[in-house]
Amino acid sequence: MTAIPSAERALKRGGILMAIGLAAVAVVYVRALVFTPEEATQGLAQKIFYIHVPSAWVALYLAYAIVGIFSVLYLLLKDPRLDLVASSSAEVGTVFATVVLITGPIWGKTVWGTWWTWDARLTSTLFLYFIYLAYLVLRSAVEEPGRRARYCAVLGILGALLVPFIHMTVYLFRTLHPMPVVLQPGRPQLPGSMLITLLSSFVAFTVFYAGLLARRYAWARLRAARAQEEADASR
Amino acid sequence: MPPANGGYMVAAYVAAGVIYLAYSVWLYWRSRDR
Repeated sequence: MTAIPSAERALKRGGILMAIGLAAVAVVYVRALVFTPEEATQGLAQKIFYIHVPSAWVALYLAYAIVGIFSVLYLLLKDPRLDLVASSSAEVGTVFATVVLITGPIWGKTVWGTWWTWDARLTSTLFLYFIYLAYLVLRSAVEEPGRRARYCAVLGILGALLVPFIHMTVYLFRTLHPMPVVLQPGRPQLPGSMLITLLSSFVAFTVFYAGLLARRYAWARLRAARAQEEADASR
Repeated sequence: MPPANGGYMVAAYVAAGVIYLAYSVWLYWRSRDR
């Protein structure tokens, strides 16, 4: 049996990458809070941007996109490892989406004067969040692995299809939410020091996500390998 | 700028930090090799 030791090694590597990512996020905290100038009109509340935007980047454009891509691949190739990556990414992505949906209203309260408004960007993001909560509930509700993987792949793909729509909501609808300042055609509309903080936050949050995903996926592999070993032993 | 804005900023950073740290620790503990 080589599956278990190799999953255990991957678990350790994931843990190390996770710790590096957490440290990188801590560095971004210090840079954003201490070494980045205050924005002229929004004041200190603007600094929420350095955790809200990279979290949204990771949740929607990385984690949920990976769920969609790996779910499509699963339906094509039927390799159970693809399903494990998709489900790991859905769980980690939901953590980042939780941060997006908490830091957004905190910023909105100071700049818009309201915690929440039912505009297109906010509402569609909340619905996406519900879809992936349903995804996680569905995973624990279906016992049979093949069927669980198939159902979840379909839901994962449908959820990921919302991501490009959510990106476009600020253009398609009249919305309060600010336009993209970096992920848009043309030059980033930010002064240099703020841009460096934002870009380093993108890197740090991406590394942190990669670490969490690696750890979560290795654990899923380990559990699958142990279940397989038990099934083989009882045969 | 009203000083309250700093409070909102701190609240957002603390909330995000707590969530990320809590999930990391939870993932670490439940995936520990037993």
